[in-house]
Amino acid sequence: MSVALEAVSVLTGWGPGTDALPADAAQAAGGRAVIPLGRPALDGDRFRRATRECLLGVAAVDALLRESGIDRDIIRGCSTALLYVTAAAYGSSNQAFVVAEALRQARTTGAVSGGTYFPYTAPSTMAGEVAIEFELTGPYGILIGGAAATIDALWQATRLIADGRCERALVLAVETFEECADLYSRGRWLVKRPLVEAAACALLVPGVRRVRYDAPRTPSALETLARARAGETFACGPLIALALARAAGAADSVALTGEWRGRRAGLYWE
Amino acid sequence: MTSRRRAEPVTIVAAGAVTPLGADLDGFWSGLVTGTDGISMIERFPVDDLRVGRGGEIKKLKPMPPVGRAGCRATQLLLAAAQDLLARAPLSAAPERVAVVVGTALGGVEQLERAIAQKGRVRHAARAFYDSPAHGLARWLGARGPVLTVGTACAAGATALGTGAELLHAGVVDAVIAGGYDGLCRFVMRGFDALRSLTRERIRPFDRRRSGLLLGEAAALVLMTRDEGGGGPRLGRLLGHASASDGSHISAPDPKGRGLEFAVRTALDEAGLTADSIEFVSAHGTGTPLNDRIEAEVLRRTLGQRTSRIPVNSIKGALGHSMGAAATLEALTCLLASRDGVVPHTVGLEEPDPVCDLDHVMGSPRAVRPHVSLSTSLGFGGCNAALVLEGASA
Repeated sequence: MSVALEAVSVLTGWGPGTDALPADAAQAAGGRAVIPLGRPALDGDRFRRATRECLLGVAAVDALLRESGIDRDIIRGCSTALLYVTAAAYGSSNQAFVVAEALRQARTTGAVSGGTYFPYTAPSTMAGEVAIEFELTGPYGILIGGAAATIDALWQATRLIADGRCERALVLAVETFEECADLYSRGRWLVKRPLVEAAACALLVPGVRRVRYDAPRTPSALETLARARAGETFACGPLIALALARAAGAADSVALTGEWRGRRAGLYWE
Repeated sequence: MTSRRRAEPVTIVAAGAVTPLGADLDGFWSGLVTGTDGISMIERFPVDDLRVGRGGEIKKLKPMPPVGRAGCRATQLLLAAAQDLLARAPLSAAPERVAVVVGTALGGVEQLERAIAQKGRVRHAARAFYDSPAHGLARWLGARGPVLTVGTACAAGATALGTGAELLHAGVVDAVIAGGYDGLCRFVMRGFDALRSLTRERIRPFDRRRSGLLLGEAAALVLMTRDEGGGGPRLGRLLGHASASDGSHISAPDPKGRGLEFAVRTALDEAGLTADSIEFVSAHGTGTPLNDRIEAEVLRRTLGQRTSRIPVNSIKGALGHSMGAAATLEALTCLLASRDGVVPHTVGLEEPDPVCDLDHVMGSPRAVRPHVSLSTSLGFGGCNAALVLEGASA
């Protein structure tokens, strides 16, 4: 299987791009548990009800196209695959729905747990908003999980391209934490800190680099670097690592690994 | 796109399930064939303030050995299906060569409700991740290969089978436990109730009086291996699969069904077959006005002139819309129909809607033994999936 990385975009709580990443995320966090990423200001009435995580997904793809000079028309249609990954970005909408429902049951007014908002609790809605915005009607996949799932998604994208099932593939990851900060603080021994909100996207196209999929026991240097510089970004980690490799001029030969819930997956571009 | 590679078939060795129709695969199948109504008043949580309080609730779930402390209902459903599966086919591959790929629309969201409650414990929050039940299943199985949770909503049970097939094609693993699950909980009942998607009447897929869906809970799993012609019992083969995006609306299907059409055509292409090969369609058939009309139109477009002679059914009239489990159960319906030479009828369908003009199996089961079948699925977020399956009787 041979593919190439055409472009990659990164938005984090530290700012846009890899240049915004600190040298040491833990130190830069200064004790803050969550480094938030604001709601993107996107035009259009369609986005009026869309959740922040939906908009972050759209913003990440938009940044990828803008920074790499790719026209929207290039990715439109059924020749572009979309693979979306998240471990936790649905948490905020789910929590909002649960809380609003509890208030509604308690007959407190003003709570919004109606039908308009319910679809946004589904992780597939985030990918759906991206597909609608960019008119993506090709192969479609959504994986729920952290960095290991993103490695799986990158591998799936590689296979889709290699098998001729699409001409290019977007691998998109979004993670938000702020609304559920209390839950994370109660389980602080379960996840590393700081939790850094992020949205990242990679565009893969046919190429000459061979890709190998593996299950390594130890993190690659890139995984370690991405975590040190960005902090804990769950599913966004491998895409941030790709962006760091590209920024360092080393995107041609990359050992990409990601871990989640005790399982590490690896993808090697050789 | 050029030089599309034909997918190698994978063997579906065996299956297990837990549904409102029965505690195992046999109960599911006999319930379908006899036209059992699995819909009842929901008893496990309060529904008295909802417009609709009925659904396909599983009243008795066999006690399962706990998985650490992660014994939430969603995980328990998965384990019940896995126990049924392993009773039919032992898992003989090396643990690191076994993958778990399951689809879900809700994951462990019920645990989030508990975590947010005043006295909720942090372990509830940890289980609220949508991929928690899949990891619980992997631990229970002792599987140490990839553990993937597919989140394509109500199409996830089909996409999971396709994703599992990819892992086998690539030689990443030697066996895959794949399928889907979802449990009924207050969260999803309230959500669909607010959407006004739930019917106060009965579910009537493709019927002119159809007025909405009812939800159900279930888990269904299959054991898949590479198709190497080995002996032993098997249910059939997955010949082709595809998932596609509508890019149209977040909670309604594309008005022209473009994503579903793309998925059906791609799955047939991957199987190396034309529509002429399809002998049965296990449809998504939710009983909502929009879904059934669009799905029928897509089937007529993709299957062509033979559409009027291809039996079509929907299992949702019998057990409700089991969300993440639905597409896997529909795939099993294809394989079991082939095994036993009978296609179950669509419970609740009495007066077919002229705009859903298909060869509906209605009133009673039909004695027919489909060789190759098609299963179609749709979900929130513009998710579509199609599976092309071959029964073992071929």
